[in-house]
Amino acid sequence: MLETFNNLLLGFSVALSPSVLVYAFVGCIIGTLVGMMPGLGPLAGISLLLPATFGLNPIIAIVLLSGVYYGAMYGGSTTSILMRIPGEAASVMTCVDGYAMTQNGRAGPALAIAAIGSFIAGTAGVVGLMLLAPTLAEFALRFGPPEYTALLMMGLFILAYMSGGSMLKTLAMAGLGLMLGMIGIDAMSGYTRFSFDLVELGDGVGIVPVAVGLFGISEILLTAGQDAAPKVQNPKLHDLIPSREEFRLSVGPIARGSLLGFMIGIIPGSAHIISSFVSYGIERRMSKHPERFGKGAIEGVAGPESANNAAASGAFVPMMALGIPTSPVTAVMIAAIMVHGISPGPLLISQQPELFWGFVASMYVGNVVLLVLNLPMVGLFVNLLRIPYAYLYPCILAFCILGTYSVSNSMIDVWIMLIMGGIGYVLRKFDYDLAPVALGLVLSPMLELSLRQSLAMSAGDYGIFLERPIATTMLGLGVLLFLLSIKPLIFKSKDWRSKVGLDEVEG
Amino acid sequence: MKNHYLETVLLGLCLFVPGLSGAQDHYPSKSITIVSPFPPGGTSDLTARQLAPVLERIFKQPVVVQNRPGAAGATGSQVVANSAPDGYTLILHLVSISALPERDKLFGHKPAYTRDQFVGIARITADPPMLVVHPSLPAKNLKEFVALARKKPGEMIFSSSGLYGASHVPFEMFLQAANLKMRHLPTTGGAPAMTAVLGGHAVTWASPPNIAAPHLKSGKVRAFAQWGEKRLEAFPEVPTFKEQGYDIEYYLWGGLFAPKNVPPQVFNTLREAVRKAVNDPEFVKGMEKIRTPIAYQDADEFNAWWDKDAQKLAQVIQRIGKVTEK
Repeated sequence: MLETFNNLLLGFSVALSPSVLVYAFVGCIIGTLVGMMPGLGPLAGISLLLPATFGLNPIIAIVLLSGVYYGAMYGGSTTSILMRIPGEAASVMTCVDGYAMTQNGRAGPALAIAAIGSFIAGTAGVVGLMLLAPTLAEFALRFGPPEYTALLMMGLFILAYMSGGSMLKTLAMAGLGLMLGMIGIDAMSGYTRFSFDLVELGDGVGIVPVAVGLFGISEILLTAGQDAAPKVQNPKLHDLIPSREEFRLSVGPIARGSLLGFMIGIIPGSAHIISSFVSYGIERRMSKHPERFGKGAIEGVAGPESANNAAASGAFVPMMALGIPTSPVTAVMIAAIMVHGISPGPLLISQQPELFWGFVASMYVGNVVLLVLNLPMVGLFVNLLRIPYAYLYPCILAFCILGTYSVSNSMIDVWIMLIMGGIGYVLRKFDYDLAPVALGLVLSPMLELSLRQSLAMSAGDYGIFLERPIATTMLGLGVLLFLLSIKPLIFKSKDWRSKVGLDEVEG
Repeated sequence: MKNHYLETVLLGLCLFVPGLSGAQDHYPSKSITIVSPFPPGGTSDLTARQLAPVLERIFKQPVVVQNRPGAAGATGSQVVANSAPDGYTLILHLVSISALPERDKLFGHKPAYTRDQFVGIARITADPPMLVVHPSLPAKNLKEFVALARKKPGEMIFSSSGLYGASHVPFEMFLQAANLKMRHLPTTGGAPAMTAVLGGHAVTWASPPNIAAPHLKSGKVRAFAQWGEKRLEAFPEVPTFKEQGYDIEYYLWGGLFAPKNVPPQVFNTLREAVRKAVNDPEFVKGMEKIRTPIAYQDADEFNAWWDKDAQKLAQVIQRIGKVTEK
């Protein structure tokens, strides 16, 4: 413990040195801006900045990039809450209740809680990284394809809790999402599926253009279709601060979201995206008033936002402790250290204590910087809503197109976004929930790959899921959750015809 | 009126002709783009970014690296293959440039691009992958490893960075040469493939040396062989396959390519510039840092070598065949 403390002191002496501090600030600001740009997420942000770090020293490079990473996670929530445009994939769930809060005139509290939740989760994540990194990293390695499959199955079962509307409509939308996720080259056989001979579709359909289209563009179209222009909001100062009740409701979701996000974050793979979905599902399930979700429940903002920031810290555990990039973002960060001749690996923490502890300390600093940066900005951001829609929406549309294009310089992504906007518009007119589409799209490529990888490992024997304790436990939990979620369907079997599709299914 | 017309034409010709010849004589007269068909942080990206500033100094024109990732490198390749062959759009591609059209052929697709749409300017790197294994395996060298695998045919698992990818092909070469059968666990990149071995979900894979290095040092994996012709400077203790009686050779190489029909002067300018660049101290130091040894080959030598390498690769891919047909 004393050693950790001493190391941390060393870390802070690095992180608080003026040059490092300046870069932490710059990183956080760039990150926040990148996160707010629709379509541009943390990955795009740090990829664009990577070449610029080659000339810096490795500590500054990684502090700058992690600042961008964190900042983008914070910034992503802003546009989700204010304009229903997910700045990055992890903010998709925030769109649902965050934007509903904005429509209720509670944009300020939603932004504030998102910032506070992110701060707490981010800081808790760093504590976890600092104390548990080597131990947890070894544990994370035990997550092979079967464990991953089980985890994702759990994610799929949580779908049932995600939406307040009809179960049939939710499943239909999840099916649509899962099918969208099948597009592209099949990693296990090499066949190209549903790609219409477009090379760009070989990688499948990205979540970001789909989410920006489904949520953001459809909102713009819906607004344009209204008879009277929506009233421009005029927020007052006392509306900016969360009420005592809102604080009270957020404590639980933030705590649970932090823990959950961190645990999912350390697992190798891209599962961190599902942490916000899982958190939302859990909060809805645990709430005494699940019917409030989707209509502006603060818990629906606090939980997912905390979860995605904790997952961001969690992803650094295997990266720092083992030198394994568990996500595209950490892969880029490893490259940033590598170009300086430092090879990340199991010996990094002992051989480069200044780098590791400086990085840990800078993450504490970065979280504080972001909180300081974001809380006062809440007022500023909320004032964006004063802009008349006739000016605001065309600007947003332009930014959506720019942002989506710039991620991989691809026009196809822009078309996907626009088409999804049209589909989203139609679906919302028919009262379909869109969040399950996003979750389905995120889950299906990962689930398919890990399921088939598991079967490749066992030469087709499904027993592999019962031989491995972690996988078996998680699958058991998943089945239990699933049974709980279909309980209302079974026990009300007499009048299911009148229930299904017409009434809300009890969560 | 007539005179005016003539004057205009003459004036136009005077303005136009020097402009035309200027563009040809003074290549490069504007910024050059090097496309990396992979995401930032990968070998192709890092090599391109080490090369760009050095070329910039030589050409006295900006050299910009642009990432066009997608479809395992096919997206960027297609863009460059169909770009104007004026020497202003180049691509830094890896060994997989040869594999992708073969994969398309296997599945009867219209290929995204073909190899003959490109001409090699230079090979820049060539690193042999290493056969690394999980330390829990009761084998101390390649011989024992092969014996172990032979005892359990089709049971031991090897991972790779992807089907028909840069680490799947060499492993199949080894399996074919040793007449072994193993299960294949394809993943989505070098890092997940390594992670699978570290976690014991697969026992082995053909790892690029720079990915394996830190884990070899800390004893998390062991290396039994490598696919090169000679032993590696950085790993003198790891024997080659050739030494151990397997006649296989394979490199994870990277080279700079231009679209096929670049004018000869432009091509020569590029060739000279790259030759100078690979010996530049700044470039040498940069490549040392990213732990990717320079293995330069000039255009003629490279294009001939590339043809042979690609044929070898095509054979392996044809022999792997479609996975679903097994």
